[in-house]
Amino acid sequence: MPPRLKTVPDKWIVEQTLADLGDTTPERVEARFAEVRQRFDEQSAIHSADPETWRTFVVAWTGRKSGVLSLITDHWLKPASPELKRAVGQELNKLKAHIEAVLEQKRIEIEAAAERAAQARERIDLSLPGIERATGTRHLIRQTFEELERIFLAIGFSVVQGPEIESPYYNFEALNIPEHHPARDNMDTFYIEGTRGGRLLRTHTSPMQIRTMEKQPPPVRIIVPGKVYRRDNPDATHGYMFHQIEGLAVDTDITFCDFKGTVEYFVREFLGPKAKTRLRPSYFPFTEPSAEVDATCHVCGGSGCRVCKFSGWIELFGAGMVDPAVYGFVKYDAKKLSGFAFGMGVDRLAMMKYGVSELPLLYQNDVRFLRQFP
Amino acid sequence: MKILYKWLKEFVDVTAPAPELGLRLSLAGNAIDSVEEFIAGPVLDAEVTANRPDCLGHYGMAREIAAIYRLPLKALQPKPKESSEKAVDATRVEIDCPELCGRYTARILRGVKVQPSPDWLRQRLEAIGQNSINNVVDVTNYVMFELGQPLHAFDLDKLAERRIIVRRARPGETIHTLDGARRPLAPDMCVIADAARAVAIAGVMGGTESEIGFSSRDILLESAWFDPISVRRTSKALGLRTEASYRFERGADPEMAEMASRRAAELIQQLGGGEILAGVVDVYPRRKPPLVIELARTELLRVMGADVPDRDIEEILGALGFHPVRKDAERGTPDSPAVVWACRQPSWRHDVTREVDLVEEVARHFGYDKFPPRLPPAKQPAHRLPHAGALGLLCERVVALGYQEIVEIPLVDPQRDALFRPEERIPAVISNPLAEDASVMRSSGIVSMLGALEWNLNHGQRNLRLFEIGKTYEINAQGGEPVETPVLTLGATGLAREKTIYEALREFGFADLKGDLDSLGDLAGGLAWQADGPAWLAAGRAARISLAQSAAEKEARALGVAGQLARKIAEQLKLRQDVFVAEVRLDPFLAGIEAARAVRRFAPIPRYPAVERDFSLVLADGVTFAEVDAAIRALGIAELRRVEPADLFRGGQIPAGRFSLMIRVTFQSAETTLTEAQLADFSSRIIAALEQRLGATLRAS
Repeated sequence: MPPRLKTVPDKWIVEQTLADLGDTTPERVEARFAEVRQRFDEQSAIHSADPETWRTFVVAWTGRKSGVLSLITDHWLKPASPELKRAVGQELNKLKAHIEAVLEQKRIEIEAAAERAAQARERIDLSLPGIERATGTRHLIRQTFEELERIFLAIGFSVVQGPEIESPYYNFEALNIPEHHPARDNMDTFYIEGTRGGRLLRTHTSPMQIRTMEKQPPPVRIIVPGKVYRRDNPDATHGYMFHQIEGLAVDTDITFCDFKGTVEYFVREFLGPKAKTRLRPSYFPFTEPSAEVDATCHVCGGSGCRVCKFSGWIELFGAGMVDPAVYGFVKYDAKKLSGFAFGMGVDRLAMMKYGVSELPLLYQNDVRFLRQFP
Repeated sequence: MKILYKWLKEFVDVTAPAPELGLRLSLAGNAIDSVEEFIAGPVLDAEVTANRPDCLGHYGMAREIAAIYRLPLKALQPKPKESSEKAVDATRVEIDCPELCGRYTARILRGVKVQPSPDWLRQRLEAIGQNSINNVVDVTNYVMFELGQPLHAFDLDKLAERRIIVRRARPGETIHTLDGARRPLAPDMCVIADAARAVAIAGVMGGTESEIGFSSRDILLESAWFDPISVRRTSKALGLRTEASYRFERGADPEMAEMASRRAAELIQQLGGGEILAGVVDVYPRRKPPLVIELARTELLRVMGADVPDRDIEEILGALGFHPVRKDAERGTPDSPAVVWACRQPSWRHDVTREVDLVEEVARHFGYDKFPPRLPPAKQPAHRLPHAGALGLLCERVVALGYQEIVEIPLVDPQRDALFRPEERIPAVISNPLAEDASVMRSSGIVSMLGALEWNLNHGQRNLRLFEIGKTYEINAQGGEPVETPVLTLGATGLAREKTIYEALREFGFADLKGDLDSLGDLAGGLAWQADGPAWLAAGRAARISLAQSAAEKEARALGVAGQLARKIAEQLKLRQDVFVAEVRLDPFLAGIEAARAVRRFAPIPRYPAVERDFSLVLADGVTFAEVDAAIRALGIAELRRVEPADLFRGGQIPAGRFSLMIRVTFQSAETTLTEAQLADFSSRIIAALEQRLGATLRAS
């Protein structure tokens, strides 16, 4: 038996009959019930704080054997005179409904409080790291290649690949760069020992222009990603190997305007819609007219800064209309066909776009570098 | 080429300030890298392209500027005061090799006072980066930078018989050049000789024996045209690049030779007095009539895609010296599409020989910015590389497995490369490497991979998983043809999992590598593993891998090798952690991925529950899991789904020479729920088979 709680006074009215209490009229009955109800309200307010006390309180009022409601049923309702029975019954039901409503309300409150307390106990420190499964990364050069391929695929350029160990014919002669041409000064070349015809490491991806046109009739629209090699002493911006992406479009109706539109499209796609393009006349043996493609400086946006030597422009790559002499090497009709070609240094583009300060970072393969480009 | 602004103004009345002029020149194809201030005024640094030797002098650059601003170019009219005695009576010039020397002019000056140059000359030369030597030498330099024509002054008294022979060098002949070196000559080189010996290397450098000094009095002034290829070959062979050779190898203007000589004589007389003999000795065996080139508007439109008005075309070509003459029938109709201009190639523009060259001249001076951009419509579908899809899947997965992609330079150290190169393979060796440790194209991706691991370990990065998509290179033994083979290389070392508050650490091991490769192999229908491998992998931890599901020949199924790097190699490369590597040929792998994708079909998800049964076996050492698996599968139980190893240990209650293997076998039927009786039957058959075939005993658990 739970310790007796002072929720109900000893020898309280509910242990007596109404007759004993002298309540013989419905008004008196109503007043008596009001007295009980008032007592319940007072006590429920007092005992609701502690869950243990509350449970005892609930038993004291609703317990089947000696709860107040049972006592009222036994002492007031059952012995009530026929004329009062109806009034007692009604009052008792009202009281019951009241008590049940209050207890239900209280139960919900207690449960909610308990849940809150439990949550507070089990709360996770959100600042702790989760369990991360190590995932890898693609190299910045590959990411750049993929971006470039996406840009050019969208306007109908197919991707082709070619050998890195090339013949002088494809690397030079067929591109209108005969031996002893001064343009070879910029393309110091590695040669491979003991190969037929004195093979070399290609100095640009342009040989695939020739190989592609030899194999397929026009129209041609290709890009050629790959490694190229120049016998230059390495420094912060030059290596003896780097990556290029070559482009070539040849058809019966390709003009300088198409070349310009394609290049401008590329610059906007790669550097953002605000980037502007500028073509500067230049010279390459395999293009005529030739151009250097400049874009507005990505650092200052064109207003001039140290990176662009206060010109507002950055040189991106060389390009131009295919020199008719090149068509002669692949048996294309130079009178009917025209086209354009470009050769971009992918390393340079990646360094520019992502602010990589030194070329060697791209090939050291330091994981602290690789992780920066997930 | 440095361009002095004030010097330009002597030829063209340009008013634009130097920086603006620089920009305009750049936009017309003469890239100006910078503009700097000197005592002599602003200097523009021009990056002259290889086709424009005419711009390697101030006068040529002034012509470009005249065309840009449509200003008149002042004519050159040097008029030195000549004496009555004729040069032809004072010296003789012979050209023995007209194929190497197209024109040779000699002018004679007498009684010149060789002395230091005046300030204005010194300052101008200084501004364009040249040292002052004496008035005569300085003038020859000055005129070269003014007119683009290299000149040479000989001390006439020091020329044997006071005459010039242009000939090929004799076998064994040498010359002591002005830079102080004695240089051996070869018969394919052109020399300037006197009656006795070579006195200069044609177009490259003079000799000391006939050098102008302060005691020189009489001068022979050379102004010639030498064959570009010959000069280039000679200068390359001797490793001697000079301002003169730079111009001759790009092609000097043969018509300029006499003019430049006259200009120099005028200046020498001005600065050193003396007498100029009348006329010039001019031997000109390769005089060529000017080429006539036509430019049709239709061709301009075909190449450029937009029109240029008649007036612009005529002004531009006129200013550049092409003398355009309209020759169309509709003469007088402005901007008619039928217009054709007959143009004359100027002697200084040997780079312009074709119609398209004229198109470029017009376009660059009209302005590339004036041509409207448009995108050409595509007429064909665009294709990615043949295996791009499969390669994408592979890369996606290898990245998901935690590998970081590296990009390598395939030029490697031949000694390192040899460690991983099969004996019969011929490497692609660089005949002119920059450095010994980058003198062979790699035979294997492993050599680069280990380099990358080493770099990271040396920089405190100990837990590494790297991959590379690259190539290996070799020379085909039969034909001597180069062969490039795409490969995927994996490398891993350190921890597979680092310690965290949730999990314990774990070292990367062979099983990690195998699991990763199998996960990649799943894309191609699974891998087959065979214990074996090259000597650079640790014995017992090396495998050859091939495609398990492939109709191809054995050779074509072989993918590569995987395993732990042999300790000996690791020590040699100073790798102090266990290193795991794999190299896989990409082409068969990607083909396998595509083949597997092509046949992959949906299999219904089973409706009836799967049931697992564990068997704790004790087996003799040497029995493999594959044998256990095969013994069970040989029973042909249709409901058998999987056989997996669940636990493996040695020692404890297990006697030496034996080990305990717990296997978990999964059964499932597509038609029904399996009954206890069926399962009991399967179990007893499995136990019996393992006992009989492998001598297994069932361990009481």
